[in-house]
Amino acid sequence: MQAIRDFFNSFLLVELLKGLKLTGRHLFDAKYTIEYPDERAPQSPRFRGRHALRRYPNGEERCIACKLCEAVCPALAITIESEPREDGTRRTTRYDIDLFKCIYCGFCEESCPVDSIVETREFEYHFEERGEQIVNKQQLLAFGDEYEAQLARDRAADAVYR
Amino acid sequence: MSSEQLAEKYLTAHQREEIDHWLAKYPDDDKGRRSAVIPALHIAQEGNGGWLSRELIDAVAEYLGLPTTKVYEVATFYSMFDTSPVGRHKVNVCTNVSCMLRGGEELLAHIEERLGITVGETTADGRVTLKHEDECLAGCTGAPMMLVDEVYHTNLTPEKVDEILENLE
Amino acid sequence: MNAKVEETKPDTVTVTIDGREVAAPKGATIIQVADEQGIDIPRFCYHRKLSVPANCRMCLVDVEMNGRPAPKPLPACATAVGDGMTVSTQSERALKAQRGVMEFLLINHPLDCPICDQGGECELQDVSMGYGRSVSRFVERKRSVKDEDLGPLVATEMTRCIHCTRCVRFLDEIAGTSELGGMYRGEHMEIGTWVGHGVHSELSGNIIDLCPVGALTNKPFRFRARAWEMLSHPSVSPHDPVGANLNLHHVRGTIKRVVPRENESVNENWIADRDRFGYQGVYSEDRLARPMIKLDGQWRETDWETALEHTVSALKSVVSRHGGEALGALVSPSATTEEMYLLARLVRDLGSDSIDHRLRQADFRDDDHAPERPSLGRPIADFESVDAAFVVGGYPRWEVPLLNHRLRQASLRGGDVMFLNPRAHDWNFRPTLEHVVHPGAMVEAAAAVATALAESRGESLPQWVAAYGATVGDEHRRIADALANAGDAAVLTGGLVEGHPAGAELRALAAYVARTAGASFGVLTAGGNSAGGWLAGAVPHRQVGGGQGRGRDAGAMIREGMSGFITLGVEPEHDFWNGAAAERALGEAEFALALSPWATPRMKAWADVILPVASFGETAGTLVNAQGDWQTFAGVGRPVGEARPAWRLLRVLGNLLDLDGYDYQAPDEIHADLRGRVRGGEPDMLAWENDTLEPRSPSGLMRAGGVALYGTDALVRRGEALQRTSQARPASAVLAPATAAALGINEGETVEVRQGEATSRLTVTVDAAVPAETVWVDAGLQGSEALGPLMGEVTVTRV
Repeated sequence: MQAIRDFFNSFLLVELLKGLKLTGRHLFDAKYTIEYPDERAPQSPRFRGRHALRRYPNGEERCIACKLCEAVCPALAITIESEPREDGTRRTTRYDIDLFKCIYCGFCEESCPVDSIVETREFEYHFEERGEQIVNKQQLLAFGDEYEAQLARDRAADAVYR
Repeated sequence: MSSEQLAEKYLTAHQREEIDHWLAKYPDDDKGRRSAVIPALHIAQEGNGGWLSRELIDAVAEYLGLPTTKVYEVATFYSMFDTSPVGRHKVNVCTNVSCMLRGGEELLAHIEERLGITVGETTADGRVTLKHEDECLAGCTGAPMMLVDEVYHTNLTPEKVDEILENLE
Repeated sequence: MNAKVEETKPDTVTVTIDGREVAAPKGATIIQVADEQGIDIPRFCYHRKLSVPANCRMCLVDVEMNGRPAPKPLPACATAVGDGMTVSTQSERALKAQRGVMEFLLINHPLDCPICDQGGECELQDVSMGYGRSVSRFVERKRSVKDEDLGPLVATEMTRCIHCTRCVRFLDEIAGTSELGGMYRGEHMEIGTWVGHGVHSELSGNIIDLCPVGALTNKPFRFRARAWEMLSHPSVSPHDPVGANLNLHHVRGTIKRVVPRENESVNENWIADRDRFGYQGVYSEDRLARPMIKLDGQWRETDWETALEHTVSALKSVVSRHGGEALGALVSPSATTEEMYLLARLVRDLGSDSIDHRLRQADFRDDDHAPERPSLGRPIADFESVDAAFVVGGYPRWEVPLLNHRLRQASLRGGDVMFLNPRAHDWNFRPTLEHVVHPGAMVEAAAAVATALAESRGESLPQWVAAYGATVGDEHRRIADALANAGDAAVLTGGLVEGHPAGAELRALAAYVARTAGASFGVLTAGGNSAGGWLAGAVPHRQVGGGQGRGRDAGAMIREGMSGFITLGVEPEHDFWNGAAAERALGEAEFALALSPWATPRMKAWADVILPVASFGETAGTLVNAQGDWQTFAGVGRPVGEARPAWRLLRVLGNLLDLDGYDYQAPDEIHADLRGRVRGGEPDMLAWENDTLEPRSPSGLMRAGGVALYGTDALVRRGEALQRTSQARPASAVLAPATAAALGINEGETVEVRQGEATSRLTVTVDAAVPAETVWVDAGLQGSEALGPLMGEVTVTRV
């Protein structure tokens, strides 16, 4: 019985008409496409974009060179060197992230005991020269300073779920 | 070397004789000499107004032939040894369980108020040091109690305490 | 005890641990048996090399004896196994006890693992992963403890301390300095010195390894790397002839720290501080990155090709104008065997036998009697069990700290450890006797011991010993009797014999004493590879495999001068018996080539070419220690700058000088080549005994000195942290009270110490430890560089 039904359906173009019906319906529906960059999709507070190193409100860098992010990074994108700063505290002398290696998994952020390394919502960036993709500590701290207001807001919004 | 005259400088001949008396009771080896540390420190402390200075402890260590740290350990461990200057009398009020239940803490507060010092301090006239109590002073049957120098005073009331304190030189 | 009793009490018992039935030696503790079986019992205070205080209570286990359970869990470290014992390390009661202890330990332990250097290799962290709770039930304040400055090597964070007392016991039992103690009690207990005198033991670094938490950490290494990011490679310490086994930890080719590698027969699991912290010299500021040549009196950096061409043409010119024999080579006794072998071959192929590594030796008269290599005469570990040991002219505590540790153990076990020295030293145990004589009288004192020994043994005294006409004193007799009555005795000569102008006589007498007493005889040598130097032919009178050589020894090369010099890893002002003469001879040579990891202003004054070579940890090679172990290791660190391993450089020089057989591709090829030509086996140390020596008896006001603990070689002298320890203070002139009074000099005054043309201004210390008529100035210190002979004439004038 099924075989006979299939036989007739095949030359009556039922499948085709079904498809056209769907197309026809969407032809007059509201459109999903966003006209980027004029229009923008909403971003989650957990968005994982370009990295930044944060500071405490008093200006002290948060990073204590525990190197957990370096250890957890699955792409080996982070390189840290550390030694005691003059005041005896544990600090990095080098903090490099290779943004080509990075897979933006957010593990570094998860592993950080002091919320120092974070991923900002910034995803629109480019490099013009070879080597620029390796961002150093000064750049990361500068990103952090630039985005601090939003970073703090996002962390606060997410805190209730942790 | 220069440090080797410490014992002669800080311990009197009589004190050294007394220490010898204790040393003779123990075997003549490191362990035996360590057994004599407590009596030796008591002897040294008695001759120094009730407390042990670093030099004095060093002198005892040298006299016993022990590393100084081993004697420091003992001197800091026991509450009977004081490593900073004290008053002429040491008053130690028990506030452990039995005494606490029978009003030891109130008694201590009374003494503190009366002497105008808190635990660990010495009166300005150098008469009394109110000592930190490390543990139960083992006078539970007569709680509340306190220890003045080496005398137990039991079944105390604030009035009794006042009397005892007044009679201290 | 008779044999019957032994039979009824067998030496082994049968215990069941976690269901596994094992035979264990009687008297062993549960934790020892479990460790042997690979059953893990958590612990903090227990360490198999230290005494058992059972104070951390982490190793509580459930014990049943013949079906009767013990009323409470027992500490596995302090409970001896018994026959029919059943132990459960995992029962509910045991686990509950362990969890309880863990919770108490964590009450006051700070949660600062992210900034703690121990993080990632912390025993507390590991055990808390297994037994700790994820959330603490304690809401009270944690206690904090004030830190103490223990010196430049060990960093403290005493709030982290869990009072296991391993450090205290180590300093009591192994280092023998008892510098730390547990002060106060209960909750107020603090590990420390109480008075802030710091920790000064030459083995102090081991407390860093022992500390199960981050309370004691490595100060030079502080915050520089994490345990998990470092790669570990085996290596060997080049600083003394024990050859302590090490693991080098490096990150991307940079050595970050050094830790001991366990080897019971060599260093157990301890290393000396200079083994641990010497690596800092690798990265010192004066490290040379590129080859340097001196052209028209001007130093300039250049590339390897130019430098090598320049070197080769200069060497060829020296050889063609003055003959091959005008060339001399001086090599550090800490160089690898491969380097020594290649350098020895190179100079021999150029026509000279003049190569030597015995830079601090004074007396070479007994060269022909020497065995094929210096040895301790017995395995290192065996020194722990000697009944009597007699050390002539030595301060093993500074020369070979780990051998001193063995001698200390022997002494603690009741053995007689005796010394004949030109000064009294500061020991970390109580030697049975330290006989102190004027350096010039040492030979006579040794002869007196020999005489007394011959008397007590009823032997007739050989003519050459009798010729000293020594008067036997009470000390000599005591030494002789102790040696004669000992079941197992050892005789050693130390570094003060090596530097003694009549060292050969002292060696001969000591060998005579050893033979007569039936004792083993050994010599302590400088550097980490003197034995390798002998075997590799880096001595002028003997070629590899025993062939005769006719070169000049280090002393003669310096005294008589050479037209060309090749030095390897040498700083003449510090490393030679006569530093002033060495610098002069090198400076006067037509061409002096320095192969050195570092370039100093002094070096630039005498050298003509300085080629940068790889330093400790950067080159592969072999060191032969004093018991004859060939200890091979790989290069770990990336050589700094353009430095190259010395073996590779020597190989290239061989090629460029058109010599045959320099086509090695790797150091193991050189090793195999050499090994095939060397005789193995224990050398006959008694061969030092010989009767051909004309007595020399120096007298009058004499300088004497040993090599400072942290002045042994160029690497250690650059160990920045080591140089800040109390043992590394600038050189001073130590005088006996009588001598000082006779010269009219007081403590603290500055004097000019003059040996020949060499002078130095030093501060005077008056100390009765030094015999009269002696000016004690240690070598290898700031202020004692480029003085004259280590032991020899001196004048002292007040300035």
